[in-house]
Amino acid sequence: MLEEIKKRKIFTRRNFMMTGGVLTTGLVVGVAGLNSHVNKKLKKYTGAGMGDGDSLNAWVRIAPDNKVTLAIARAEMGQGVYTSLPMLVAEELEISMDQINVIHPQPESPYANTFMLTQKEPNAFKGYSMMEKLYAYLPIIGTGGSTTIPDGFNNMRYAGATAREMLKQAAANQWGISRSDISVDNGYVINDSSKERLSYGELALAARDIDLSELPVLKEKKDWKVVGTKARRLDIPEKVTGGAEFGIDVRKENMLYAAMLHPKVIGGKITEVSNLSEIESMPGVKKVVLTQYGAAVIADNTWRATNGTLFMETVEDGAGNEAITSEIIQERLNEILDLEPIATPESEGDVDAAIAQADNPIESTYKVPYLAHATMEPLNCTVLINNDSAEIWVGHQATSVVLDMVSQQTGIDKSNIKINITYLGGGFGRRGEPDFLNKAVAVAQEMKGVPIQTVFTREEDMKNDMYRPAALSRFKAAVSDNGEILAWDNKIAIQSVSQSALSRIAPAMAPKAKHDEATVEGAVHLSYKMNNRRTSFGDYQSPIQVGFWRSVGSSQNAFFTECFMDECAHAVGQDPYEFRLAKLSDTPRFKAVLERAAALGNWGAQDSKYRGIALHKSFGSIVGEVCTISKVGDKEFAIDEYACAIDCGMYVNPDIIEAQIEGGVIFGLSAALYGQITWNNGSVVQSNFPDYDMVRMNVSPAIKVHIMENDYYPGGVGEPGTPPAAPALANALFAATGERVRELPLMKSGYKFS
Amino acid sequence: MELNINGKTINVEAEPGMPLLWVLRDELDMTGTKFGCGVSSCGACTVMLDGVATRTCTLPVGNAKGKKIITIEGIGSEVDLSAVQQAWIEHQVPQCGYCQSGMIMAAEALLDEIPEPADDDIDAKMTNICRCGTYTRVRAAIHTAAKLRSQATDLFGTI
Repeated sequence: MLEEIKKRKIFTRRNFMMTGGVLTTGLVVGVAGLNSHVNKKLKKYTGAGMGDGDSLNAWVRIAPDNKVTLAIARAEMGQGVYTSLPMLVAEELEISMDQINVIHPQPESPYANTFMLTQKEPNAFKGYSMMEKLYAYLPIIGTGGSTTIPDGFNNMRYAGATAREMLKQAAANQWGISRSDISVDNGYVINDSSKERLSYGELALAARDIDLSELPVLKEKKDWKVVGTKARRLDIPEKVTGGAEFGIDVRKENMLYAAMLHPKVIGGKITEVSNLSEIESMPGVKKVVLTQYGAAVIADNTWRATNGTLFMETVEDGAGNEAITSEIIQERLNEILDLEPIATPESEGDVDAAIAQADNPIESTYKVPYLAHATMEPLNCTVLINNDSAEIWVGHQATSVVLDMVSQQTGIDKSNIKINITYLGGGFGRRGEPDFLNKAVAVAQEMKGVPIQTVFTREEDMKNDMYRPAALSRFKAAVSDNGEILAWDNKIAIQSVSQSALSRIAPAMAPKAKHDEATVEGAVHLSYKMNNRRTSFGDYQSPIQVGFWRSVGSSQNAFFTECFMDECAHAVGQDPYEFRLAKLSDTPRFKAVLERAAALGNWGAQDSKYRGIALHKSFGSIVGEVCTISKVGDKEFAIDEYACAIDCGMYVNPDIIEAQIEGGVIFGLSAALYGQITWNNGSVVQSNFPDYDMVRMNVSPAIKVHIMENDYYPGGVGEPGTPPAAPALANALFAATGERVRELPLMKSGYKFS
Repeated sequence: MELNINGKTINVEAEPGMPLLWVLRDELDMTGTKFGCGVSSCGACTVMLDGVATRTCTLPVGNAKGKKIITIEGIGSEVDLSAVQQAWIEHQVPQCGYCQSGMIMAAEALLDEIPEPADDDIDAKMTNICRCGTYTRVRAAIHTAAKLRSQATDLFGTI
């Protein structure tokens, strides 16, 4: 059926969803009204791993001792979801944060991330649309695209509110009074007249089967006591004692460790291990296995396994990719800029005519390299394969991907696969990929009945990433003497990220390159007033695997568009802040953010410092950043400060948001200063931090964050801090030097930072 | 081989060339100390060796023999936190948390050496990588930990 749709050439990520909804009619979980939805439609959960007590819905279980266990089906990779989602429940359930225990549930229907695919405010308790029902049926459960709060904002509050009302009704039944004569306080139900109290734990069993006839009304924002506060993160105590368990820390009885040697050439294959018996006789080595992904050494210790791979002699088929070099890639990207675009997602007015009429059109080409994710915790996955069951321990961004992939690869029924999601030592998009699961499963299949932890060395991790693609962006613009943008033309050359990544993660959803919205996200629908505008792109086809990298298309498009905006301002002798501001009268949220960032960053201050500004919307949130730098030597600068303003609509935990913006800036800075993955002989040249360096303490700037106050529906916060970091810095460098750097990383142009 | 880890004598069987990191993690299941790069670049594997912040992913275990090894597990627990750990919580430093064991051990060693470090000292001594970008909070937490430590000393002095 899917093949047919593909042939009809109407196949895009979105209309797959539409047709998919039709295809599966009758299979979707039935929707009934109101609370029966919660109790019946979303009943497809087992509560596995939620400990003692009674489940009041898929998210909330309360034990007799009044401990509340919350099922949080989003990956905790540093962005605070094991705290922010519980805050939403706690607000409505009226419990304190220290009563809460968080578990990561098995991938079951209620936990679908529908927002990730529909971009629509979900409300499981009021009823799902056809498409949302499909995602819940499949189910699609993932953490990415900064969607956790936009997806959970309603669902988690209703999870708390319905549980609260069920507990109140249970008490009402027991006391023989009306629910309206009952109030709640911090985990207790109170009889308003007699002042009698019962703990939630005492009522959970009776409350479990209560069917509410109506959906509770959620609290108004002005009444929030938990949401909107700087509640302390629940995961931090164990993260300061070394006690937090990451995937690499999983230890099981009799478990063994494996290290994998990947083919040297991208897309290649190791066909033979020539010195197999020699390796197998090394200390601690149990077995050498050859999989379709590479050769692995299984040993009683990670180091001994790694040593085995280091001494391995292999025969390899390079699959014809041995000639790939960065120079060849660059030439091809340049050619693509001169070809007809494959898509023009945005075209308003007559750009060509406006540029032809202009006296001094501005033309510039920007360039960014491939980037690795380099999560702090190298990729790893622990797998136990039995005859007809399997268990996985992994830090992964998508439990449904883990389940699907492991079942597909092993043929084991999904109901016999148990998934244990640990903390993730960084995700950034990398841990949504299936490759490291597939590799670990392939190794474990060679030694059934034994849990095997496959760990990538940093070198294997870096050389076998799913990279942020290299890209070019060529601008032409016409700007009037008074600063009006008469025409804006942007043509991008890039490999399609969504096509490459989804072909691995969810093949049925992989779009054609021309339909990939990620290519132009952050490059189209810019907030600025422009008389004529056009954004188009060409497609670079490559065997290199590219993937979602924190902020995806915006990671390069903000650099392109916000630096070029600066060029336009300087071309007509205007202040880059004033130039932008003048174009934001129709987009007041953007204007307010820009003004706030400028004020916070002392824009226009008469001091010895230099400033650059950037404004960018991504993942539903608008971020403005002012970067302040000081000259400390020839082409050497200190990055003093980033002043950031974010409009993410209503916010859940401002301290976590500040942390995400701080981290987002540093992530963007590491890429801006040092990040580049280059290719030679079909292999990645860089291998570890000495040649793929990161911002460290000595370079790290002070970072100020202001969160705008409003009542809009929440946007994401994990990614939006990253995109403006590079253009704000590059624009500050221009202010300092008069040199317009149009290529990242900045170190390539001889700049040093201290 | 006998090792002195967190004040206890522990016997391990390992070839002397095995890095201390892997002895801790895979032979002793002390997984608080992390593997990040394997080339002493990122600092995730930092422990204190006779009081000195030391990267263990390239340190042969034989070289740690006879020295006092303090790991993240040895500086405090959730109910008895060190000043550095308290400050880390106060400033809500960790995000993913993976680098933080190494970061905290580097901070402990820094404060042992320089009880009231200036920002330049922190820049010079805290060379660990945090991919989540917690540096501004690490810096603030080190200053707070310095204060907590000096208060504890004062208190001890008055008793």
